[in-house]
Amino acid sequence: MKWAIMPALALSSLTATAGGTDMLNLSGFATAGVVRTYEADVRYTRVGIDRPGRERPDSGPDSIIGIQGSLRISDANSAVVQIISRENTDGNYQPRATLAFLSHQFTPELTGRVGRLRIPFFMQSDSLNINYAHPWVRPPEEVYGLNPFSDLDGVDFLYRTRAGETDIELHPFVGTSRIPLYPDTNARLKRVAGVNLTLTRGDFSVRFGHAEADLSIHWRDPLFKALAPVLLSPGLDRRDIVAQMAGDSGKVRFSSAGFQWDNGDWLLVGEYARRQSQRYANSAHAWQFTAGYHFGPVTPYLVFARHAQKSPVVSDDQIASLPPFPELDPLRGGLAVFNASRNLAQRSITAGVRWDVLDNTALKAEFARSRTADDAWGTFDPANDRAAGRMGNRSINTLSLSVDVTF
Amino acid sequence: MRRRITALAVGLVALSGQARAAEVMLVTAASSRIPSLNADEASQLYLGRRTTLEDGTQVTLYDLPGGSTRDRLYALLTGKNPSQIRAYWSRQVFTGRALPPREASSPADLPTLLSNDPSAIGYLPDGPLDPRLRVLLKLP
Repeated sequence: MKWAIMPALALSSLTATAGGTDMLNLSGFATAGVVRTYEADVRYTRVGIDRPGRERPDSGPDSIIGIQGSLRISDANSAVVQIISRENTDGNYQPRATLAFLSHQFTPELTGRVGRLRIPFFMQSDSLNINYAHPWVRPPEEVYGLNPFSDLDGVDFLYRTRAGETDIELHPFVGTSRIPLYPDTNARLKRVAGVNLTLTRGDFSVRFGHAEADLSIHWRDPLFKALAPVLLSPGLDRRDIVAQMAGDSGKVRFSSAGFQWDNGDWLLVGEYARRQSQRYANSAHAWQFTAGYHFGPVTPYLVFARHAQKSPVVSDDQIASLPPFPELDPLRGGLAVFNASRNLAQRSITAGVRWDVLDNTALKAEFARSRTADDAWGTFDPANDRAAGRMGNRSINTLSLSVDVTF
Repeated sequence: MRRRITALAVGLVALSGQARAAEVMLVTAASSRIPSLNADEASQLYLGRRTTLEDGTQVTLYDLPGGSTRDRLYALLTGKNPSQIRAYWSRQVFTGRALPPREASSPADLPTLLSNDPSAIGYLPDGPLDPRLRVLLKLP
């Protein structure tokens, strides 16, 4: 964060000397949104983004304001700083830099950027905060919950060229990332390396992406803090299970393929994504398919989405290898809840509408019916301990309303 | 919408006696070093995919304030409607991919802005041209 401030300072001093509005472009975006679940004991939450709220409806998951300064330093060089404020996992709105980079155009087709960038694992990852740019209230959580990371502190290159009528964008990137997952829990990605390929032809675009990274997670949530001492107790000494739950030696891979087609009448968007993780997080895959139709400024749409787990954080074999004493049943149960609380598996159908009510203003409403998998909390959080035991296999209705603006 | 444009086009043809009337013209300074521009290059520029011409010349782009000329320029050049274009550009800008075109405060300001910058391109509704400007491309 500290080094992200430096480009911000450079930007403000340059603005002062530039003196004109010509070089500096100030713009912003905002969403005011509320989410309501129709089940008293569950809360809607976005992993790594907001703190599950007690409020009903909850304005935390979607509301955001962002301000961006883009500075043209010369023909080939520019600087961009973007500051956002939204509810974070600590439950406050402390502003943070989401972009702070210097960009250099090496050739008309090749641009390099260094600083804080958005992590571009999936199709909408780098515009996850820019709800105005999407048809949905928010990009489907089944897919986007696979990657809670948002910042990339590092370097990327955008190589854009054209073959016939097809625009090609090749986007390699390297860097690091960190994110607060729950209060006091930090997850880190180191040695992130990935590449995306986007092909656009007329109204149709298709994208492929792959990235790999080293993963560290040190959980500080009550569940982990209750389980770890028991597992490490001298009688049991299952440090292998604790090492599976938290530590600094994880590896994670993200892969995705998606397409978008919008011919001015029809809107079709689909994406498949998966996360392969050895430790600390589960392996899972997800897809979503969206179809909409533009009736002038009003675009109703349907979204079908599914997130499925491939392998849990703590494996079934590890849990089964615990001594078969009845006294350990609570531990087995606790590990099952630990796994379930880190499993977003669910399927959902969403009906929504976007209404472009004014220039740069869109109103959106979405009604979603989600069914969590047997062994998963899905995109929800239990409101109390009793609810934690009955999160699986539930149908939960959610209503989301939002207003998106850009300025 | 399409019917209205057809009606408008028919009206213009009737008025001017020309075979076909353009709606929007891309312009540059009369003294500009930009020799020519085709629709493909113009669309790449106004979608932020390039900031240079094919010969490598860096270009400064100007937009008009929101309104019918701007909407028609993007529709003719990119096939996207106003809300698609606004969503597209918000994504380009807020992901740090591209800087948006500069905005002239009115069509009347464009001749001054363009004649001060030999690499600048803007657009105007088809009509009488300020002597400081030169037409690069007429749309459609």
